[in-house]
Amino acid sequence: MLNPGDKAPDFTGRDHTGKTVKLADYKGKTVVLWFYPKADTPG
Amino acid sequence: MSFDSEADNKKFAEKFSFTFPLICDTDRTIGTAYGANADPQKGAARVGVVIGGDGKIKEWHERVDARAWPAALVGTL
Repeated sequence: MLNPGDKAPDFTGRDHTGKTVKLADYKGKTVVLWFYPKADTPG
Repeated sequence: MSFDSEADNKKFAEKFSFTFPLICDTDRTIGTAYGANADPQKGAARVGVVIGGDGKIKEWHERVDARAWPAALVGTL
């Protein structure tokens, strides 16, 4: 788990359109990360 | 984001016209770093994270409610 004040782990990933997404690209902005178990499932 | 393929997340995004990127963390690297890979046999845990502009964690939730969290978030952002 992570705690408030911890440095957010840097990451580079690929989105659903094939575009590269880096946390560093959002420097200075608030970022929300939301994990879900499987695309298009209720919960 | 999820551990789903690009194709699965693309379908999901198009169905609901999402305007934000759905990251396809197929090797679970990001999920592991953020504590969302609790059970490697299953999909990602419903972890919710808010990161401040300073690159530090503002909120980390082990399990967010898919219906309630968006409203709660809008209240805090």
